[in-house]
Amino acid sequence: METAKISGKQLFVLVVLFEMGTALLEGFPVQLKQDAWIAILAGMAGGVLLFLVYYRLFLYYPDLPLTGYVEKIIGKWPGRVIGFIYIIYFAYLAARGLRDFGELLTATIYTNTPIFFLMSILILTITYAIQKGFEVLARVGEIFFAAVYMMAVIGFFLIIFSGLIHLENLKPVLESGWRQIMEVSIRQTMPFPFGEMILFTMILPHLNDQKKAKMICISGIVLSGINITIACIINIATLGTDLFLRSQYPLLSTVSKIQLFNFIERLDVLFMIYVMVAGFIKVAIFYYAAVAGTTGLFKFKNHRQVTFPMGILILVTAMMIASNFAEHIKEGLYIIPVYMHWPLQIYFPCLLLGIAMIRNRKKQKKAPAA
Amino acid sequence: MSILTKMLKKKQVQRKNDNYRQKLDPSKPEELVIQKDYSANVSRIEEELGHSADLVIRQINIGIVNGALLFIDGIVDGKGISEFVVETLMDKQISSREVDVFQYVMDQTVALGSIKTITNWNDLYNALLSGCTIILLNGYNKAISGETRGGELRSIAEPTQQLAIRGPKDAFTETLRTNTALIRRRIKSPNLWVESMKIGKVSQTDIALLYIKGIAEEEIIQEVKERLQRIDIDAIMDSGYIEQLIEEQTFTSFPTTYHTERPDVVSSQLLEGRVAIIADGSPFVLTVPALFVQFFQAPDDYYSRFDLSTSVRLLRIISFLIALIGPSLYIAATTFHQEMIPTTLAIAIAAQRENVPFPAFVEALIMEVTFEILREAGLRLPRAVGQAVSIVGALVIGQAAVQASIVSPVMVIVVSITAIANFSTPVFAMAIAARLLRFALMVMAALIGFYGIMVGLMIMAIHLCSLRSFGVPYMAPLAPFSGPNQQDVFIRYPFWAFKDRPKFIVKGNVVRTGENQKPKPPKQSSHKSDKLEENES
Repeated sequence: METAKISGKQLFVLVVLFEMGTALLEGFPVQLKQDAWIAILAGMAGGVLLFLVYYRLFLYYPDLPLTGYVEKIIGKWPGRVIGFIYIIYFAYLAARGLRDFGELLTATIYTNTPIFFLMSILILTITYAIQKGFEVLARVGEIFFAAVYMMAVIGFFLIIFSGLIHLENLKPVLESGWRQIMEVSIRQTMPFPFGEMILFTMILPHLNDQKKAKMICISGIVLSGINITIACIINIATLGTDLFLRSQYPLLSTVSKIQLFNFIERLDVLFMIYVMVAGFIKVAIFYYAAVAGTTGLFKFKNHRQVTFPMGILILVTAMMIASNFAEHIKEGLYIIPVYMHWPLQIYFPCLLLGIAMIRNRKKQKKAPAA
Repeated sequence: MSILTKMLKKKQVQRKNDNYRQKLDPSKPEELVIQKDYSANVSRIEEELGHSADLVIRQINIGIVNGALLFIDGIVDGKGISEFVVETLMDKQISSREVDVFQYVMDQTVALGSIKTITNWNDLYNALLSGCTIILLNGYNKAISGETRGGELRSIAEPTQQLAIRGPKDAFTETLRTNTALIRRRIKSPNLWVESMKIGKVSQTDIALLYIKGIAEEEIIQEVKERLQRIDIDAIMDSGYIEQLIEEQTFTSFPTTYHTERPDVVSSQLLEGRVAIIADGSPFVLTVPALFVQFFQAPDDYYSRFDLSTSVRLLRIISFLIALIGPSLYIAATTFHQEMIPTTLAIAIAAQRENVPFPAFVEALIMEVTFEILREAGLRLPRAVGQAVSIVGALVIGQAAVQASIVSPVMVIVVSITAIANFSTPVFAMAIAARLLRFALMVMAALIGFYGIMVGLMIMAIHLCSLRSFGVPYMAPLAPFSGPNQQDVFIRYPFWAFKDRPKFIVKGNVVRTGENQKPKPPKQSSHKSDKLEENES
């Protein structure tokens, strides 16, 4: 594993950017109409609970990434198999993020450009970043964080001053009922984006001040959750439930409604910059996790040996996972959560934690005797 | 691969045969010792210097002892030699054989401030060739070297590269000693340490390393020294040589060392814990470690009040961005994102471009390249023809080009703004980076519009974040971000709040400004003015 060390601030920034990432673009549970934001908050609460599980695991093995301590918990070969599954999972999610990004660009701005071209340029950029190492990625994250926040604040005020917000669109609250909201949040908002915190089990060993890990990550999750909620509320308030439900990218529709002084209009650029940054960070972190996992599992000397092949793999996967946008979205909504997110984000980590607890209790009992 | 390595190896073998004798071999001490017979010594010097025309040898006679005075004409202070060496030597006549003539000459005759005894040939040549006067006496196997450096030198002038409206108006010269003196005059602290070394096998250039003991980090000083000592080159013509030999990464267009010709800038950077490197013969002094944000700080920022300097600094950063992405934004907007331009403007641009036969990218490229040519020509051409170029240039990137339908008027505006914006970066090295990367971004914009520009900027950001200057991350204090170190980044804090030295360079001694420096009105003044008003009423 790379010996990079990142500071608490950098980890916080990465968590926030990663969680907000593509969720701001297409993570809204639109079928709940005006209650979507409640499901996001509920998903966030679930995400924090899940993170506590990951955090306990990390406390047992503070120097090892997920793919490393799996071997220690359930034995060498079964552990390696599980580790390999996780690597595939991360690489697959990187490919999904990349595809999301490509689909968005081809659907909105670059309607005539081949998606493969757009995606390959992004993956090349990310490959360059990962070649430079994780510390560089963390520093780039800090710069992007500042850029994103500045844009978000500007965008927020522009929307307010354009007089687009109609809070009555949010009524009636809880029309769909708690039962449905809970269902949606477990199926949709908890695994994506909040459950994806499982990835940070690969990154936490890089943290230089490990005592703060819990606070940093939880506050990161909460901040990003609140941001997504605010974005969701603004979208509903601006677009109305009807358009919110039908719009492919609600945030884009909202941003392009901004019109001030007959001069500030068509601010798709702001949106576009956000898309770039979000896509970059999201894919880069998944990509890095896959690379770091592979390096550790197959005992490569250096993560640079794996980076480029992994990039090509992700690019090809992104091309092949779905034949069109509808298929891609359907997979994301109905198949991935049940067959990938739930087992790998919830069942496995809980199981691992159970075994780890039993094992370590034995050790603790043994320790005083020895 | 193997063929390549073989070729490289062959070359290395060839490179070894230099028949030039750089220094006498210290392992053979007998060759190094100066002979007792002075005339043998003199003829040896004459021979080894190839009877050079500028070597002056003057025979002297001090009573019973014969001797010779040697110096190189032109690099010595001739008046000083004749007054304080030759005259005094001629006055004295020793007749007694008891006296140690050598000691007598050293102690009582030569009226120079700095004087040394030399016993081996290497030191003798070093001294002679750097402007000292050598006195050889018959019967002694040592020589006297008197410090008589001088000759015609450029005097201290105003800076020509980094101008400031307010602030000191002196600039470094080509003489090392003058340059260290300029700094010494500003920092009268015993902690300002000057270390010297010689670099360059042939040129034997004097290099001075300046730092403030107790502020500069020991690690950084050691690192600088190590890198300087590693340099193995025949000559150093300018500090630019050193810059390229000690920087961390060569494949970057961003400067990772800072150079300046202003002694005030160097002094303030020394106080921020940096190390300065002065090379003899170069009016540009290097300071390291250099950071990205540092290249947007102009000396004026500190001499004028903080509100003004902050806004000017922000302006500078914006103009750097314009210089970087100006033409590519134009290309992207006109080729890919016409809907982003307000409708009336879009129609106006389209109308202007109607007669232009080229795509926006080619149009921009023609203009940018033309401008770069003009700029380069303006830099090189003799002063007398300068006028002609500026007239022709104004015609080329101006009305004539538009009338000939080669470019559109908007393009002329874009190019001009970009060019002017590029000049507002205080340090030329950083301006050059923007100038080069602009072309790369233009290509990206021509390929895929805004997406291309964004990708270009992202790659730039990744690259910048991966750079380090002498161990310090280049983008500090932005990435890694550090709140207390934002005192001199985008906003230049007023001096009472400008408390700390940059903590990523200085670790121990960080206090710059003391407590309670905020100016306050005197306590009773409000009373007084009230009373005055009462009286008046």
